[in-house]
Amino acid sequence: REGRSSGTPDPKLPRNRLGKRPPGAGRPLSPSDPIEELLKEVTLKETKKKKIDAFLHEISSLLSAIPETPETELTDQAWLPKGVKVPFLQVPFNVKGRFRFVPPTELKVVGSYLLGTCIKPEINVDMAVTMPREIFQDKDNLNQRYHRKRALYLAHIAHHVSKKKLFGSVKFAYMNSNHLKPILLLRPQGKDEKMVTVRLHACPAPGLFKPIRFYPSKNNVRTAWFMEQSAPKEATEPPTPHYNNSILCDTVLLSHLQFLSSAATDFPGMKDGLALLKVWLNQRQLSKGLGSFSGFLASMLVAYLLMKRKIVKMMSGYQVLRSTLQFLATTDLSVTGISLVKDTDASLPVLDDFHQAFEVVFVDPSGLVNLCADMTASKYHQVQFEAKRSMEILDDRMVDGFQVLLMTAKPMLRTFDHVFHLKHVSKLQGACKKMQLLNELMDRGGNYVAAALPFIVSLLARGLARRALLVAHSLPEIPEWPIDAEPPKHKDVGPLMFGLLFVPEFAASLLEKGPQADHPEALDFRTFWGEKSELRRFQDGSICEAVVWEADTVCQKRLIPEQIIKHLLKLHADIPESSVCYMGALLESVIRTGQEVSGTGEEAMVSVVCSYDDLSRKLWNLKGLPLTVTAVQGVHPALRYTDVFPPIPMKPIYSSYNRIRTKHLLLPLEEKPCPAYIAPLKIVCHMEGSGQWPQDKEAIKRIKAAFHLQLAELLQQQYQLVCRPAVTHTDVYKDGYVFRLQVAYHRETLILKEVVTPEGMLKYQDTEESRQLELETLHLPYLTSSLHGLQQQHPVFGSTCRLAKRWVSAQLLSDNISEECVDLLVAFLFLHPAPFTPPSSPQVGFLRLLDLLATFDWKNNPLIVNLNAGLTGEQAIKNRFVAARSRLPVMFIATPKDQWSSMWTQEQPSAQILQRLLVLASESLRAVEEQLMDPFNSQDVKMVFRPPLEFYDVLIHLNPTQIPRHLESVDRPQKSFSRGVLKNSTSVKILFPVVDYDPVQCYLQELRDAFSDLALFFYDKHGGEVIAVLWKPLSFQPQPFKVSSMKGRMVTTLNSELVCVPNVEAILEDFEVLGEGLVKSVEARTEKWTI
Amino acid sequence: MGRGIALAFLYRLLSLLRVQDALSELFSRCGRVQSVDICDKPGTGEKKEKLTSKFFNRKTVTGFQVAYVVFRKPAAVQAAKALSREGPLLISTESHPVKTGISKWIASYAASVVDQEELKAEVDAYMQDYDKKIAEEEAKAAKEEGVPDEEGWVKVTRKGRKPGLPRTEAANLRVLEREKQKKARKELLNFYAWQHRETKREHIAQLRKKFEEDKQRIALMRAQRKFRPY
Repeated sequence: REGRSSGTPDPKLPRNRLGKRPPGAGRPLSPSDPIEELLKEVTLKETKKKKIDAFLHEISSLLSAIPETPETELTDQAWLPKGVKVPFLQVPFNVKGRFRFVPPTELKVVGSYLLGTCIKPEINVDMAVTMPREIFQDKDNLNQRYHRKRALYLAHIAHHVSKKKLFGSVKFAYMNSNHLKPILLLRPQGKDEKMVTVRLHACPAPGLFKPIRFYPSKNNVRTAWFMEQSAPKEATEPPTPHYNNSILCDTVLLSHLQFLSSAATDFPGMKDGLALLKVWLNQRQLSKGLGSFSGFLASMLVAYLLMKRKIVKMMSGYQVLRSTLQFLATTDLSVTGISLVKDTDASLPVLDDFHQAFEVVFVDPSGLVNLCADMTASKYHQVQFEAKRSMEILDDRMVDGFQVLLMTAKPMLRTFDHVFHLKHVSKLQGACKKMQLLNELMDRGGNYVAAALPFIVSLLARGLARRALLVAHSLPEIPEWPIDAEPPKHKDVGPLMFGLLFVPEFAASLLEKGPQADHPEALDFRTFWGEKSELRRFQDGSICEAVVWEADTVCQKRLIPEQIIKHLLKLHADIPESSVCYMGALLESVIRTGQEVSGTGEEAMVSVVCSYDDLSRKLWNLKGLPLTVTAVQGVHPALRYTDVFPPIPMKPIYSSYNRIRTKHLLLPLEEKPCPAYIAPLKIVCHMEGSGQWPQDKEAIKRIKAAFHLQLAELLQQQYQLVCRPAVTHTDVYKDGYVFRLQVAYHRETLILKEVVTPEGMLKYQDTEESRQLELETLHLPYLTSSLHGLQQQHPVFGSTCRLAKRWVSAQLLSDNISEECVDLLVAFLFLHPAPFTPPSSPQVGFLRLLDLLATFDWKNNPLIVNLNAGLTGEQAIKNRFVAARSRLPVMFIATPKDQWSSMWTQEQPSAQILQRLLVLASESLRAVEEQLMDPFNSQDVKMVFRPPLEFYDVLIHLNPTQIPRHLESVDRPQKSFSRGVLKNSTSVKILFPVVDYDPVQCYLQELRDAFSDLALFFYDKHGGEVIAVLWKPLSFQPQPFKVSSMKGRMVTTLNSELVCVPNVEAILEDFEVLGEGLVKSVEARTEKWTI
Repeated sequence: MGRGIALAFLYRLLSLLRVQDALSELFSRCGRVQSVDICDKPGTGEKKEKLTSKFFNRKTVTGFQVAYVVFRKPAAVQAAKALSREGPLLISTESHPVKTGISKWIASYAASVVDQEELKAEVDAYMQDYDKKIAEEEAKAAKEEGVPDEEGWVKVTRKGRKPGLPRTEAANLRVLEREKQKKARKELLNFYAWQHRETKREHIAQLRKKFEEDKQRIALMRAQRKFRPY
């Protein structure tokens, strides 16, 4: 059994000589396994069943006592009391036929309740109400007469039962949101109202209709009637398979029950398996709405597999789930349908007839009903895709299959790379006209959504064939309504949502290459793409039809599918662009660079990496160094594509600076706005090990400094690069970037660790200094190169990281959680995407990150990020984690090279910060998903990037002129300042620009140095205008007087004792004094703290 | 001679000299000031070791600092104690401004730029000294090689004709490990009946322990509603 995660394997226990097991070691040794626990959670309790049975009993006695009504014309509905409306859209209204109510001949519970496969959260009990034969006439099969009688029948019942005290609510709903099939919902009174919903289905007396009338090729809705024309024009009427199917469904309710119960006898695994399947479907949002893969369908499928001996009655619930998924994964019912008919009957329609009429085919035991009639091919392909993915997960030993398959919800927003809404479904009416779908419209009883949807989806699927793995749509769903309200219209399904899952290699390609101009298919291509199609000559000399989309930057290219969708919908379905609300890249605006509309920084990142590659080549080839360079490794986030705002080339404008010509450098001027921030791009330059290196830590420092001086000199001489050496590094100005070279010697960490014991033994002990050096020269380069590699496999990895880090920073937490930690969290999403696929858009990646933060159980689990697939088993890490939990960081991230220490989360975040992060994540996720789900909203998704400030004690407002990264703020400032640089230009011979100078960071450093034991300081380093201060409550308690603890405190007397308390007024004044020129005002929120 | 602690907690300021001047001027109203010492924290005034290098191992003190004001006469301390009633004393004045904020950060940025020639000279001088020291040590070691000391012991070094084992922790552990393996090889397993019983008992005890742990874990998960799908 794969996919089971916990539970002890049955141990082969030794027996003693008497053949008896030792006491206490009898089977079953394994405590309950997760699947059994899950089943316990979802199945109905016996006590509830008893209550439900009693309720059902009362209903049936009530229904048989409903009085008859006199016969009237179908259109004469005056007899119906005011408190109830016919639950049917009677369009066109006029129809022949007469109706009267006669109490039902039979009442029978059908469906999952009797089979015991009905599961929480929605307990539905289906009850078939057989309408007596005498209320029907000939030709009731035609023109919705049967449907209308059925609706009137239910309306009368509804009116009658609504007066009874027995029910908490009496409502109508459409069965599976199919508006031809209203049902009546009854719920018990009082606190049991949520317990159960009894659904009344009206069905015809057996043998009322001749089955042959409803074969898929037959017509039962006359065009003249539907179009309200007086005389029939056409001789041949089109087939109405969906209409026929809707009547047939009612005739087989009872026989399906018998069929399923015979399958379920002596088969306990079926019950469990169906419960699991239903949970699986629910988590994937596949089981509700028009054309859903309902629980009933799942039961029939299991019965089919039993019939075909793919499932045997010996199987457990888990095996049933597995076999069913296996079947779904490998069978395409939209191409090769299946049938439950046992003995082939020549008179029955064959599978091909069904394929002609329906997109997905699964024929019931009677051979007449297509159980998948309303399902679109796209929906089935989605089910199939999910099944395939699930089978892969079950076969993967590294994944906790139970958790991923059954416990994780897959809402569309988090599943698909891009989603878009069709805002106004009423536009589909026009689409039906444009696509000439009158026959389909008639067949679907005027439901233009259902009629147009399959065509729209297949249109899009063709247009995106190479780019999208899957084009899926949400299922139209209509909520229940009170019996005195008019039935919902077709447009009441609300906006339709579509989801795209991309093939990362092709999703953003600019070109749609068509057939050669002289080929016959060329015409087809031209009609499909319309004006966009043009003839082009290709490199191989061929002249082909082709469509070329316009996009300059990576972020525009990611939106080519939007262009395609809008174009095709306009061209073929008359749906205007304004009705399509595309949610592909709404969040990306927060990582746009600069003011120019151009891109989201991917291009800038590439050019940084190019410049870095060139520099490292130059370093390798440097002549005249006493030792050779063995490796050049980048450690700056830009060099792994995850820097929130990648550096852009800059050239200083001298007039804005204080020029120090003697030293060849520039200094900021006090009276000018702070210069633009130039981040030094850190690079580690490993030097060859040699006997020439001293083995003493002080001497090594000197030698490294000498190397920094020499590197600067040689780079200047040999490559004319302007350099500025310092003790610990050399800054190199190249292509408008500043690289910060750090020389490293691999034995230095070891030398720093050396300790000689009193006995003269040499020991290695970690020190703060050695740990720091190891992190910088060993671990960070390794992480950087691993993540650089990940970016090569997943082109949106970097942008997702940047979005994530932008959010962390916007929530003022970037100083409390390391960048590397966030990078690893995002890497986890790409390396362990199950049950999803790796993200192909930054937005979906970001949503999943928020979900991960909000739901991951950090207390009890390590997060294992299998970088470079370096781990083969995770159990060892988990065991060790559990054993040492209390001593480990609150957020534990393990990687193949760092299995036990979680080095990037060791110091941060603290437990409180983590807690805050989780709260913010779940709130942000809720808010942003709400925005993305509602196409009528303003879509101000930046909302989750604006931090709540109410909860801080003091706000220090900063002067924008002195904030060098002011332009990076979430809401871009209206006016900006000249910051003394020319962007996107470089120079060779310049005075060295001002590097790594950020007054706000200097200020924060001073604040923390002075007041860290009294307060916490929070700031958005990307252009925040406010520093938020939170007092530490503990340090506000009066403390006994001590000379050493007088920092920031004053002496006062409390109960005639000398104590010291924080001198808040002085501290606030200090805030201003320390930040002279930077601080605009200090806002103390006195109501939040008192002394 | 009296010493008064003026609890002037100072921030890290760029020019300590200027602050010292300012303090001595401030307190001169209480009596003649002999000296002002600035330290990281209150305590017995140990003299700070003198910094040998302009570039290396520079400890930057952060946050609050303490200054000791030493008066010529004890009476001045009493006067200083009375000062606190007059309200805070200001170090930074029109005539003697102390740099804070932007101007301070610009100055410290400027100060962070090193003079290449100076750095080079310092490094060269240090390395010359270091090389000399190492050469001396080596010469001394070479001279003592194989020569017994007063009590007749000969020091074994890694050099020379008979190098000894390196005295490191890793080497020690290696030796211990080897010993252990040797011992294990000699021992017989499951040879005696009691050994057999023992291992069996241990095995079952282990299984039982794991069973109990699993049970607890499941109970915990159930309590946390880990099995509720939605």
